[in-house]
Amino acid sequence: MVGAALKICIVYFLFAYGDEILLSWQCLTRPIVIAPFIGLVLGDMGTGIKMGAELEAIFMGISAIGGVIAADATLSTVIAVAYTILNGTPMTDGLALAFPIGTVLTSINSLTMSLISNPLAAYWEDLAARDLKAFKVQNFLFAAVMKIIPSLIIFVAVAFGIEGLSKLLASLPPFVMTGLGAASGMMIGVGFAILTSMIWDGEIGIFFFVGYVMAAYMHLDTVAIAILGAAIAITMFFSYKRNIDLKNELLAAGVNANNAAAGEEDFF
Amino acid sequence: MANNYTPSEKKILDKMFLYSHLVFISFSMVKMEANGFTITMSPMLEELYKDDPEAMKEAVARHQQFFNTHAVPFSFIAGLAAAMEKQHKEGKVDGATIENIKAALMGPTAGMFDSLFFNCLRVIAAGIAIGLCRNGNFLGVIIFLLLYGFTQSIAKYLLFHAGYNLGTSFIDQVFNSGLIQVLTKCAGILGLMMVGAMTANMVNIPLNLVVNTTGAEGGAVNVGEIINSVFPGLLGVVALFVMVALIKKGWKPSQLILLIFAIALVGALIHIF
Repeated sequence: MVGAALKICIVYFLFAYGDEILLSWQCLTRPIVIAPFIGLVLGDMGTGIKMGAELEAIFMGISAIGGVIAADATLSTVIAVAYTILNGTPMTDGLALAFPIGTVLTSINSLTMSLISNPLAAYWEDLAARDLKAFKVQNFLFAAVMKIIPSLIIFVAVAFGIEGLSKLLASLPPFVMTGLGAASGMMIGVGFAILTSMIWDGEIGIFFFVGYVMAAYMHLDTVAIAILGAAIAITMFFSYKRNIDLKNELLAAGVNANNAAAGEEDFF
Repeated sequence: MANNYTPSEKKILDKMFLYSHLVFISFSMVKMEANGFTITMSPMLEELYKDDPEAMKEAVARHQQFFNTHAVPFSFIAGLAAAMEKQHKEGKVDGATIENIKAALMGPTAGMFDSLFFNCLRVIAAGIAIGLCRNGNFLGVIIFLLLYGFTQSIAKYLLFHAGYNLGTSFIDQVFNSGLIQVLTKCAGILGLMMVGAMTANMVNIPLNLVVNTTGAEGGAVNVGEIINSVFPGLLGVVALFVMVALIKKGWKPSQLILLIFAIALVGALIHIF
């Protein structure tokens, strides 16, 4: 367990530091990318890929609300995949666990943010004004430390927590795991609901149902729906743009006409 | 893209473009992306104010102000700020103007690029990738990285140089013409279609309620199966819009999650699921 925990903790650190700090894509830390690599170091990449797909759906919209994150997608994914592969349990058990664990671990992240990152703002301001070179170096180091903290938590959780966790789960009545499994299916809905409420606008809301019908009734796959959607969006964009251009032309013409009239009055 | 940079200018700009990937370095809730912005600006500031420590201090303080936007327009604003710092040194622009332009651009660019990248491109990329990865195909991961990762760097590169070359007059034009709202709306169409499609495919309410209507043997009816045969995925859509309504009422995601756990556990206990 300790060896496996060390491998996982290194993968997590490389992805979290490399992506969020050095690339700012917020892309390599998505469940669908990191889960296969956790699977790879644990010797079961297939399970990693499949769990990554399910977890990506679960966390699709969860991290979307700025500042307040309900559960850390990356930490949840790492623990859920490690638990499933190391214990040899069915994928559904790991998926059911992802959310409760993610919620607990997220509170640790927001704790380090408010205890360490926030009070340092004045220090950075002072340092930047005095010595820009030291400011840069210390930023790189500090950001690394901020990613080492969750890496260590992952290490401890996997090395010493997983056996206890599986014993605890085995002692629970069976309806609890059924319930958690049902919850993970519905949890995907929370993310989509957040996304929908962010994008929703009365004028375009109907397109939600267009996409729904294409998938549920016409059984088109996602690439096909994306291409049709892009065609609609591009057509709409140019038709809106034509309206705006026309409005601007009219405005310009109107202003000129007024000026011309004013000029004539002056002339007479 | 204009390529008439002097060699030293090109070197500074290349360095700034690389640094503009450090958006979230030492992120805090107090100043958000200010540290990343200061580092991104540093090559230009070091060049412009190398002989003037006082002006340097002022410039650094300008870019240590609170800053927060999406990672892609971050580069655009950095390019613009670099061009303005050059004009500031020539005495054409005062420092307060640079701060104001930065502050004015944060909100609209964040909204626009969130809807383009986060709510549209990411949802499409994930939708395609999830389909492949569910079957254990690693190609899905590569497609996700190409569509949602590399595109950001390409967009950052183009926008960084656009910001440096276009200047502020262009900004007034674009933001007052109404094109931004139109672009946001059209990205929203695509995003909503993908969310609708994925709700149909993925939101799964495993209703396992069996009702025996006739009382006779073999008269048991599975309610979930009937609903799905009449209106596929109806339960998922209803659940989704209930949650949307709750979010509009001010519910937090964590409250929704607790509600779902409660419903799922009680449901499992009384054998609905």
